[in-house]
Amino acid sequence: MNNEVNTQVKSYLTFKLGDEVFAANVSKVLNILELTKITKVPKAPAYMKGVINLRGSVLPLIDTRIKFGMSETEFTNNTCILVLDIILSGESVRIGALVDAVHEVLEIDDSQILPPPSLGSKYKSEFIDGMVKLGEEFIMLLNVELIFSTDDILNLKEVTGEVKQKFGDAG
Amino acid sequence: MDKLRQKFIEEASEHIRDIEQSLLTLESNPDNHELIEKIFRSLHTLKGSGAMFGFEKISEFTHELETIYDLIRNNKLILGKEVFDLTLACADHLKILISDEKKDNAEINEEYRNLLEKIHEVYSGESMPGKPSANQKDKKTADTGSDLSTYYIYFKPNADIFDNGTNPLFLIDELTSLGHFMAIPYLQDIPEIETIEPYRCYTHWEVIFATSESSDTLNEIFLFVEDNCVLDIQKLANGNLVDNKKFVKRIEKLKETGKDIGIDALKIISEDLEQSVASKVKKALGDEFRTSFRDYTISSIRVASEKLDHLMNLVSELVTTQARLSLYSENDSSSELTAISENIQKLSRQLRDLAFEIVLVPIDTLITRFQRLVRDLSKELGKEVSFIAKGTETELDKTIIENLTDPLMHIIRNCIDHGIETTEERLKKGKPEQGTILLNAYHSSTNVHIEISDDGKGIDAEKVRKKAVAKGLITEDNYLTEKQIYELLFLPGFSTAEHVTDVSGRGVGMDVVKQKITNIRGEIEIESSKNAGTKLTLKVPLTLSIIDGLLVRVEDIFYLIPLSAVEKIYAINHEDIDGKFNNLIVLGGERIPYFYLRKEFNLEADNNINDQVIVIKYETQKVGLVVDEVIGEYQAVLKPLGRHYKNQEIISAATILGDGTIALVIDVNRAVNHFANIITHMEEKI
Repeated sequence: MNNEVNTQVKSYLTFKLGDEVFAANVSKVLNILELTKITKVPKAPAYMKGVINLRGSVLPLIDTRIKFGMSETEFTNNTCILVLDIILSGESVRIGALVDAVHEVLEIDDSQILPPPSLGSKYKSEFIDGMVKLGEEFIMLLNVELIFSTDDILNLKEVTGEVKQKFGDAG
Repeated sequence: MDKLRQKFIEEASEHIRDIEQSLLTLESNPDNHELIEKIFRSLHTLKGSGAMFGFEKISEFTHELETIYDLIRNNKLILGKEVFDLTLACADHLKILISDEKKDNAEINEEYRNLLEKIHEVYSGESMPGKPSANQKDKKTADTGSDLSTYYIYFKPNADIFDNGTNPLFLIDELTSLGHFMAIPYLQDIPEIETIEPYRCYTHWEVIFATSESSDTLNEIFLFVEDNCVLDIQKLANGNLVDNKKFVKRIEKLKETGKDIGIDALKIISEDLEQSVASKVKKALGDEFRTSFRDYTISSIRVASEKLDHLMNLVSELVTTQARLSLYSENDSSSELTAISENIQKLSRQLRDLAFEIVLVPIDTLITRFQRLVRDLSKELGKEVSFIAKGTETELDKTIIENLTDPLMHIIRNCIDHGIETTEERLKKGKPEQGTILLNAYHSSTNVHIEISDDGKGIDAEKVRKKAVAKGLITEDNYLTEKQIYELLFLPGFSTAEHVTDVSGRGVGMDVVKQKITNIRGEIEIESSKNAGTKLTLKVPLTLSIIDGLLVRVEDIFYLIPLSAVEKIYAINHEDIDGKFNNLIVLGGERIPYFYLRKEFNLEADNNINDQVIVIKYETQKVGLVVDEVIGEYQAVLKPLGRHYKNQEIISAATILGDGTIALVIDVNRAVNHFANIITHMEEKI
């Protein structure tokens, strides 16, 4: 079935939020930082964790867990900041995203990527570029550009649960 | 190529602006020959570069305009009002052409044709009263531009020229793209078809060529084939012979013989003609023209504004890093390190000052537009208005200048539309017939003040008040001072014009002006007296990227309050504010409303510390902000918080302190608005 598909290998950075593994296209990731001093900005939405000093410029920091409808990030030794370069209404913007842990860079062939689950309109499946099954685990390839340019909180937990059910049973 | 086109557009816009500016100055001083020359030069450059970058219409258009100015500078045409109006209209049209060259808009084309026609009318009806009409031939030379010279080129490629990949036709093409030409190919050497060798070249050319380029340029074209041909380039005459009908006729005759004409024969013909054409005058003019070009030396260079932004960012980073270095060296005993650090401090200060100076632009750059606006608008409204600008050398950060343009335009529009009366009215009041709008800019400490005053009818405070009542903005029994009444003008949806005109008075206006000025941390004030006029004063900061602030701490976060807003600082006991419900505190004998920042930022009150109150100016009142600790004055380089905090009202920017910590800059006005709203909200709930 895959014979006709023009296969292309892309690199993805995998990271953990809670027990779930996600991946982002490495072309969007500029940097991985250790936890540094965060300056809280008063009266900002909860997922806007504050700002940090990134080599002389001010970088807004997003608590990815809250953004995904999970509980607030608890800082551990593994907590990292991904510096992402996203396009926000035509402008290149840098943001920091807190994640629980960074795993590895995976080379994923396009043909391995399963289409994002269509879970009915109440889930925002457009935030997921696709799925990859790695061993027993499902990794969701995130569209970071879309995720971090919206003000909404995404209930990704429901999505992951749903995905597990659908694909987990089939696999 | 796109980059080059972009560059052309930039330069062309500048030339058009120059033309406008020169024209406006010329209007009051029509004998200024230098300015006419300047206009001519700008037109000429536009023509040349327009053609080069494929803006054919611009090239064609400016060519026609140039003709008019050539006549003017040769005193064959008077620079009258119609020429002014026409040229200004043309300048406008050129702007459109530059932006829309590729668009085939019927309306634009129509306008284009109209203007071209008018131009033709002007220079064909050149026999102005009082001036002897120029004779036929003079007109001709003027038409074709007096900076052209005619060259004779004999080009006979060697028979083996094709061997090195050269196509002689391309060379001829390249040559002819530089000007008017007459090329005569000679084919008689081509042998019979049986003996022809297709890889050999049998043709040679004679080209008579009129161009503004020097013979060096012509030689360059043939640079690569020099060794493979017989080449002779000679100047035949000054001026353009190619378009001279008599000359062409004689050449045609000679051509019929099928033999080479040769330079000598051509020279004789041109000399014949020269006597009848007053080419000596032309030559003198041509030389003058060239020397005036040479006067330009490079005293400034053009830099893309993004590069300047980048420079500013780097300098800001350097200043921040340097602050860190001095902090580090203070805690270190090494005297050498201290010396180095101090040196770097000195250098980075100088660099910072210089960088800030570079991005400063004189207000002058705005003035042309305003002059134009006043001129066009007063004409349209049938009022006589003169516009005087003072202190235009005052410099401001370019971002501020950019943000000032629209508000100032609007204010000036208002002055003409609402302020200045019609001529009859003015005469009745015993005022001079012509109204005056004065723009005055000057420095005042770290601010620049720009005053716009008119000598019109002033603002009728009573009328404003009544209107505000009618609109429900205030009630009939509200007592307002005159100043407060003028403030009403800045409220959204307020417009005093009885009739909505297309000039001003659409109800969007002064509120937008106020908003824009506030956005660049500026203020606006109105003074007015009936029948004497109105004065608006804009106070704007010199630069947007640096701010003098008071560094304070609330819990573990540092905040910066702009020093310009700070009035006084008091130390208070926590009990003074603890458990108060009316949010009023007595300081220096005054009852001042206050906001406890810990509470406003949803932090827990700390009962053990002594608090400090910073009294700030909020509009016309005083407001206290209670913080944990005041650290001191700090000069901060502002950094944007980023798009993700765009809804953040209280904090306008951030800055990085010497030790790398981030401090948040409080936008005092918005913060107080925000806090106050929350309180009224809570009261409503109760």
